[in-house]
Amino acid sequence: MAMDPNLLVGISMVTTGLVLGAIFALTAAGVTIVYGCIWLPNAASGQLFLLAPLVLWSFTIGFGIEPVLAALLVLAAGLPLAYLVERLLIRRFYDVPDRNISYFVITLGITQILSGIFSLTWGRWSDQYNVPPLAAGVTFIGPFPLPTNRILALGCALTLLAALFLALRYHRFGRALRAVFQNREAAALRGVDVRRVYLGSFLLGTSVIFAGGLLYSMAYSFDLSVAWSMGIAAFAIMIVGGPGSVLGALVVGMLFGFVQAVVSVFASPTVATLSYLLAMLLILLLRPSGLFAR
Amino acid sequence: MEVRHLKIMLAGAAVVALAAGTAWGEAADPIKVGFVTELTGPWSFSGSSCEAGMRLAEARINGAGGVLKRPLKFLVVDNQTNPTQAVAAARSLDTQEKVLLLSGPTSSDNALAMYGYAEQNQLPFLVPVAAFPQLTKPGTQWTFRLEPDAVGWGYAIAKFIEQKKPGAKVALMYSDFALMRAIAAGVKYQAPLSKLSVSAEIIFPQGSSDATIQATQVRASNPDFIVPIGAGGFDNTIANQLLDLGFKPDQIIHPFGFTTNIIGWGKRSVGSYFGTFFDANLDTVTPEGREFIKDFQAKFNRPPSYIENFCYTTAYVIKEAIEKAGTADRAKFRDALRALKTKEGTSNVPIEFDKNGARKEYIYYMQLTDMDVAKKEYKAKKAFYLEWAPEVIPVYDLVK
Repeated sequence: MAMDPNLLVGISMVTTGLVLGAIFALTAAGVTIVYGCIWLPNAASGQLFLLAPLVLWSFTIGFGIEPVLAALLVLAAGLPLAYLVERLLIRRFYDVPDRNISYFVITLGITQILSGIFSLTWGRWSDQYNVPPLAAGVTFIGPFPLPTNRILALGCALTLLAALFLALRYHRFGRALRAVFQNREAAALRGVDVRRVYLGSFLLGTSVIFAGGLLYSMAYSFDLSVAWSMGIAAFAIMIVGGPGSVLGALVVGMLFGFVQAVVSVFASPTVATLSYLLAMLLILLLRPSGLFAR
Repeated sequence: MEVRHLKIMLAGAAVVALAAGTAWGEAADPIKVGFVTELTGPWSFSGSSCEAGMRLAEARINGAGGVLKRPLKFLVVDNQTNPTQAVAAARSLDTQEKVLLLSGPTSSDNALAMYGYAEQNQLPFLVPVAAFPQLTKPGTQWTFRLEPDAVGWGYAIAKFIEQKKPGAKVALMYSDFALMRAIAAGVKYQAPLSKLSVSAEIIFPQGSSDATIQATQVRASNPDFIVPIGAGGFDNTIANQLLDLGFKPDQIIHPFGFTTNIIGWGKRSVGSYFGTFFDANLDTVTPEGREFIKDFQAKFNRPPSYIENFCYTTAYVIKEAIEKAGTADRAKFRDALRALKTKEGTSNVPIEFDKNGARKEYIYYMQLTDMDVAKKEYKAKKAFYLEWAPEVIPVYDLVK
């Protein structure tokens, strides 16, 4: 099949923007749910994002577990881990004034500990992090061949984002969570068990970040440095979208993904990695409280 | 008389005991080598492989009686893939352990940091695997390097392509690391001299994980060959995205390949080329090399590649230089290294250093012929071999 080079580059730009944007949005949604509800700026979100694909890689390559089952196991294992962290650390600060600063320092500490653990354990295989595809082969979008696994990752990310959006809007827990987002005291007076909602939001947010990491490893190769780049991207998206706004995370995540893809075509991959941070500065100059501030 | 006789006997016994003690002391006193390598951090896959190769040689050398009847002891320190840590470790090994020489780094950034310390403190430094040219820049006195410099690899790629298809168009895609920049500089310098043209050059920042857009841009430039140099797992991503876009495996020339990253490219890369300095598939592997491969495979469940071989060979080069120096004196050891003319025990490739400590250079280009990913095995055949003098092109001017 004859391929028009410009068409190829155009389709590759759109698909890259979509896949990257969806994963950005999903991960930032996980970060913003926790921040909006508990007021916890999770500096360790990048390390948690990385933990999921590292464990997935070990399950599939080290233990030979079938990739779909391995991904489900990783997601399932994330829940008790998040529960343990909430029990041991997070809940101790629920009634501390200005706890966001305490949380930030604590999660920075967790970041250092996790990055040390990753370096000492998985570090020696850092040239081999490729997770076996859940769906092999390529699918042609017009003349453009896109790995089927990447389409699957995009589909999963968009489905999860839609489910998250609907759950927060229509499910009882979602409504309680939004009530706590808006006014903790008023929600408590209306009978909402605020501490339970805190726990639920931390479990949900951490699981969503884990899912983002898993989907990223389906779509791309990765190394230990992805923890930092994704941690910064998720924070930037949360701030620009408006802290606590899932809709903001969705819109800005997609926007950042496309900005990176477009700049990659017209400038270079190096400029592209900085482009969304420049976009963040520009947007914040115009709207300092974020695009979707509550 | 009896008392005098007794005194003489006691004095004699004391002399004998002292002499024996000295001899024992020397026999038990190891010759120490400071081995500062990457056991943690992003380059740890390379440092760990290097240590594994070196340990096999250390065990063999000491099993066969050591050097000058003394054990050769490698003091391994993790530099955490951090130049500051590498220098701190070098200083400690020099001042506290009084090592004869430094060795071990497999990252050019760490090796360059240690280079400064070694040259300043007149401490011999034998670099096993780090290819940035400035490690043997003119005026170097105490540093020697076993691996050919990376600009030279680029020179060799251009010579290989020139031989495969005169007038070919070449595309370069590489991660922004010193090593990769050096290889690209060599290709770009030699390309016009070899009557080749560079149709695209794309540089990825460190930590990149996707090359979809860039692969299509390369496709649009319609090259005959692509030289992809991704860091870590990104190398596999680039290779597979190029294949997805319809490039044939034999259009892809990886500047280097070691066992784990070759396996990472996957079976669909069979037919593509890679550069190496040692490969288990080579006919030129000696009986000692075969034994090394067998032992390594038994211990690590994969064949060794050039990283492990350079580090294995490093131990033997150190042994030979100490034997030629006849003593564990730093200056005499340095002079012995400088005058060394020997061969790699595993492959018979010559080893000799120029006035700056750079080795007479060589490279093999192999073509992948088969792969079993599950068994971590691959088959490859030699497609090209080249030897050249370290300064065949201005390697020290092309990258700083």
